[in-house]
Amino acid sequence: MERRVALKSMAMAVGAMAGLPAWASGWSKSTLEKGTLLSADQSKILTGMVETIIPKTDTPGAGELGVGGFVQKMVTDCYDSKAQASLKSGISNLDEQSIQRFGKSFADAGKDQRMQLLQDIDKSSDASQKAFLGMVKNLTIQGYMSSEYVMTNLTHYEMIPARYHGCVPVTKG
Amino acid sequence: MANFNIDSKKARTYDAIVIGSGISGGWSAKELTEKGLKTLVLERGRDVQHIKDYPTTNMMPWEFEHRERLPKEITDANPIASRCYNFKESSAHFFAKDNEHPYIQEKPFDWIRGYQVGGKSLLWARQTQRWSKYDFEGPSRDKFAVEWPIGYDDIAPWYSHVEKFAGITGNKDGLDTLPDGEFLTPHELNCVEKYFKESVSKQYKDRHIIIGRAAHITDPQQIHLDQGRAKCQHRTMCERGCPFGGYFSSNSSTIPWAMKTGNMTLRPHSVVHSIIYDDKKQKASGVRVIDSNTKEMMEFYADIIFLNAAAINSNLVLLNSTSSRFPNGLGNDSGVLGKYIAFHNYRATVSAEYEGFLDSTEEGRRPNGGYIPRFRNVYKQETDFLRGYAAGFGSDRETYNDRSGLGESLKAGLLKTQYGNWSVGSHMMGETIPKESNYVALDKTQKDPFGMPMLKINVDYDDNDEKMIKDYIEQVSEMFTKAGFKNIRANDNHRNPGNDIHEMGGVRMGKDPKTSMLNKFNQLHACKNVFVTDGACMTSTSTQNPSLTYMALTARAADHAVKEMKAKNL
Ligand SMILES: Cc1cc2nc3c(=O)[nH]c(=O)nc-3n(C[C@H](O)[C@H](O)[C@H](O)COP(=O)(O)OP(=O)(O)OC[C@H]3O[C@@H](n4cnc5c(N)ncnc54)[C@H](O)[C@@H]3O)c2cc1C
Ligand code: SF4
Repeated sequence: MERRVALKSMAMAVGAMAGLPAWASGWSKSTLEKGTLLSADQSKILTGMVETIIPKTDTPGAGELGVGGFVQKMVTDCYDSKAQASLKSGISNLDEQSIQRFGKSFADAGKDQRMQLLQDIDKSSDASQKAFLGMVKNLTIQGYMSSEYVMTNLTHYEMIPARYHGCVPVTKG
Repeated sequence: MANFNIDSKKARTYDAIVIGSGISGGWSAKELTEKGLKTLVLERGRDVQHIKDYPTTNMMPWEFEHRERLPKEITDANPIASRCYNFKESSAHFFAKDNEHPYIQEKPFDWIRGYQVGGKSLLWARQTQRWSKYDFEGPSRDKFAVEWPIGYDDIAPWYSHVEKFAGITGNKDGLDTLPDGEFLTPHELNCVEKYFKESVSKQYKDRHIIIGRAAHITDPQQIHLDQGRAKCQHRTMCERGCPFGGYFSSNSSTIPWAMKTGNMTLRPHSVVHSIIYDDKKQKASGVRVIDSNTKEMMEFYADIIFLNAAAINSNLVLLNSTSSRFPNGLGNDSGVLGKYIAFHNYRATVSAEYEGFLDSTEEGRRPNGGYIPRFRNVYKQETDFLRGYAAGFGSDRETYNDRSGLGESLKAGLLKTQYGNWSVGSHMMGETIPKESNYVALDKTQKDPFGMPMLKINVDYDDNDEKMIKDYIEQVSEMFTKAGFKNIRANDNHRNPGNDIHEMGGVRMGKDPKTSMLNKFNQLHACKNVFVTDGACMTSTSTQNPSLTYMALTARAADHAVKEMKAKNL
């Protein structure tokens, strides 16, 4: 009985989602109209970078899951101009490094070459490049872990748990 | 102002007018319409209908383009609202925006507001603790404010009345410092919370750890099903509006209930400017409203008026209701209107870790937490500060993922959840002392975008609060130490007053019209057909979350109002 009432209200709620009222979408309208921060080439480099940070294995990597777009969106909309500048200059520095060492853009570099470039930044003493990598890595992790693919298939997110138990044995490890 | 003819005036005349449709206004509407009064509910914000107007309620985490963080443009434009923990991508549309609703901060005060049908009832954390007799007796004993004109026994049946309808989960703990109510099945404390409860009860005879009492339907009764509400499904996304009606909000409960009586007219986009005082009849005859869309001013009339605009806005409306009889604000013969504003103090937290129960964890989600009822200065004055504090308490099993490295090793680390220690934490909820120097007032020249005088807020902490913070940190740290918790860290976050969203006072109740605004039934001493039953009426603040008390006071005042109306006393 209770379940039926609940399901009924769910159905109503889903129905109501069809058109968002103006006051609700108003929050993001201005940000949606904003141009993107990076050029098409730079965006491609960013996608290559997030895919290097979390690569395809037997499951999709961050690039394929669109995390590059997420990273860019977050920095564009939620971060200050300093962080935005750091993303842009970090990407062009990364690309320069790639051209210098491998004679090709980061976007065209091989998997191992990309990894080498990122690992070198990680170990280097260049504080600004390290901060750039750290920011992209953190956002990549966030975007990946909160992606639909990972939450549905790998971490099994429950929207409606309908329960709480305060003390159960640890099973997964 | 336009000239209205007689018929038009009749069409704008009701038995009762309720100003505001939040937690207290919803209760006014329900009680008055159920008792047969044709009631006009005026709400300054837009309409928000249950389920239909909860645009984010069924969105998955990945559907939020910023994963709950708000764009910088929005946080920059709303520095005050942004300091509220609950202002995020899924709920921001239920907060009033700072830049649209300005006020003057003579001292920093984070005024957090929800301007829509339902007010802040959509956003609240739903903690609902009764006051005890000690809370009502406090002021007369300690002399820190005027005496309350009522005691626990006056309000107890009204607590029961509202609890049964709203649906409150809780455990019967049998404590005289926090009376039991009409509870639905309690939520569960987890193993570390239970362990702490036992540790504390072994070490101290007057300190207790209990499960919070909260406005969630854990086992629906007929009265909840009749409202179209269902059992809480433990989503813990309440601030988006709950499609099940699992928690109490005006939108899911009192407003539709009042609507069903056929006696309610709801008028959104109606900013109440002032209450009209009729010199000849020597009572209020109606209200002036600014339509927020057209900015047109209009009048509505009624025999009784319930002012439920939330504490500070109710002060504003009364201060702005001037007449030759009341040049300083309606009912303000005493001069105390706008003064003795008080609030709660949430500044300090204590956190720690526990290394026990490492083979256990939690499962599911719980829209509630543990609670430590006030234990300081209850039976006698035992510290160098007045009054006391309650506290929230909770524990979670920590989990983490290895985020080191890059590439496949990072990916493997991220997908393998590991367990850490249990983390434990507590935050204080301190009572502040109502003082004359904590006040709100109208600016003489500046107006807000709705044509209302700008409100000035001048409210601050004092020495008593600082001492209380120190004591809370010492006592909770000691209780944690005795329980064997490790790595105990105390923090004073120095948040601004107001950020706890429990502002109260300015139109306080009292026995003596010379020192208070309202009598024991929340009627203005000097204008008996106006009732103020939101936080503005609070004589002192106690340590409990306040909204359950507003609900009970409102139901009680509405009952009295209708009796008085029938007896032709209003
Ligand atoms: C994040 C958060 C957590 C909270 N947690 C808790 C908790 O756990 N427990 C608890 O007890 N309380 C909690 N509260 C506080 C609780 O929400 C308020 O105490 C309660 O909503 C107050 O009820 P009210 O009717 O006075 O005001 P509201 O619910 O704010 O309603 C006031 C209504 O009046 C309208 N209004 C204002 N001015 C005018 C005007 N001039 N004309 C017409 N309409 C007007 C407003 O738009 C609003 O709709 C919390 C609040 C927030 C935001
Ligand atoms: S916790 Fe309960 S009340 Fe809150 S959103 Fe979930 S189902 Fe609704």
